[in-house]
Formats: sequence, structure tokens, C-alpha cells
Amino acid sequence: MPPDHLSATFAALADPTRRAILARLIAGEASVTDLAEPFKMSLPAVSKHLKVLERAGLIARGREAQWRPCRLAARPLKDVAEWVEHYRRFWEARLDRLEIYLRELRSKEKKHGRQ
Amino acid sequence: MAASNEKIPTAKTPAGWEFTITRVFDAPRALVFEMWTKPEHLVRWWGPTGITMPVCEVDFRVGGALRFVFRGPDGKEHRAEGIYREIVVPERIVFISTLHFVPGDEVRTTVTFTEHDGKTTLTLHRIHSVESDATKGEPAGWSQVLDKLAAALANR
Repeated sequence: MPPDHLSATFAALADPTRRAILARLIAGEASVTDLAEPFKMSLPAVSKHLKVLERAGLIARGREAQWRPCRLAARPLKDVAEWVEHYRRFWEARLDRLEIYLRELRSKEKKHGRQ
Repeated sequence: MAASNEKIPTAKTPAGWEFTITRVFDAPRALVFEMWTKPEHLVRWWGPTGITMPVCEVDFRVGGALRFVFRGPDGKEHRAEGIYREIVVPERIVFISTLHFVPGDEVRTTVTFTEHDGKTTLTLHRIHSVESDATKGEPAGWSQVLDKLAAALANR
């Protein structure tokens, strides 16, 4: 089972507006006002989305400036990628077992002469 | 014993939101396909070694449910659930599984079977969150957006 922070990451990503915000941040850091602009959303509504992203560690907010610029943070995305990799290994092992089972089945069939 | 299994390198997108595994089995396609369709077979290979499957229910038709319960040596149980989205006997199975600890995330697994010279090539593809309510109707699935993100982050 993945640790809880993964569910926070997925929950944060499972929203088109928040993904669009992240996509916007690829271009570089931005203020809440910049981010609100393309969405025709109120600043408090955007702030709410930013809080979810910040809690999930997907963005970091500057303390240095009055406008607290938002920027992307890499770590949670890497964690998700590692988690998916874990599933890949899990499926490799599952297919190993399928292969062994198939071999057993076929040798039994041969013994019983119904090839 | 003849080497019946060739491991072909696994392809992955850079971000790892999806993966593909290809395997060759020394068995006819109809048989390999059947292994995916009946509980009596699934219980033999689906669960990890040392883990039993007290529940293995498979309603093998489009819209039908898969329901598994795994029980570890310590008695702890873990549930897995899914729905079949596409079935083409004996070529293709698509199912969606939901991860109950991840709200909004769904995983789509596509398994394809092709036969050549009595051997079956199985390809398994898994991708996250292509059909969750949050992403329905979006022109680009979120994995594309996330791939871009990951690429951007990797270049820092």
C-alpha cells in the first residue's frame, strides 16, 4: 500500500483546474492573480485550489515576496512514478506465475493424452 | 525444460504514468486467454505467492465486475475491484480498476493476445486515471499533462 501522501497527490491531481494550474506553472512561477486570469475564477477560489496543491507538495509558495509566487515542486510526481514502477514489477511477477501455471497445465494435459 | 519465456524490454513513458509489459508464452492463444476468464485459473496465479484468494468473482462480460479478496499469511485482507470495459475473445480484455485509497484515480488495464507458431504474445498496458469523472470529456488525458510536467521538472 502506498503511503498517505500519495493519495493526497492523486486527489490534488484529480481536478482539471488544478492540472491546468500546474501546466501553467511549467512556464515559470506565477502569482495568484496570474493563475486566476485564464479560469474566470475568483481569487479565493483559486487560493483554495492552490492550498490543495501546496498541501500535496506539488507547488511551493515563495515567502520572499509580498505576492507569494507559486512554483512547481518535483517530489510528489517522482513518488507517483515510483509507485507505478512498483506496480510494473508486481505485474511482471504475476505473469511469471501465470507462465508456471500454464506449464503445469500443459504437462498434465500431455499426461492425460488430450493435447 | 525449454525456454518458453522471452522477456522483451518494457517500454515506459518518461513520467511512468503508464507501462507496458510484453511476454511470450509457449501455449496457444485460446488457452492463455482462458487463464484470464475463470476463477479456477485466476486463483492459481493472480495473487502473490503465500497469499490466498478467499474471494475470486469474475463476471466475464462487458460491464461485468471483477472482485478479489487477498488474504496474507497474517490474516490481513486486501480488496481489489474492477469492471470489464471490453472483451474480444480471444484477443483483447480491457478492465478498469479503482483504487479505494485514491479518490478519483482509476487504472485501465488492456491485455492483448496474439498467436504465432503456437506461441502466444501477451501485451499488458496499464494507465492511470484516463476515465475518472474528473477527466471525462477532456481532450487530452491527464497523463499527457503530467508527462509534460515531469519532463519540465526533470530538466531543472
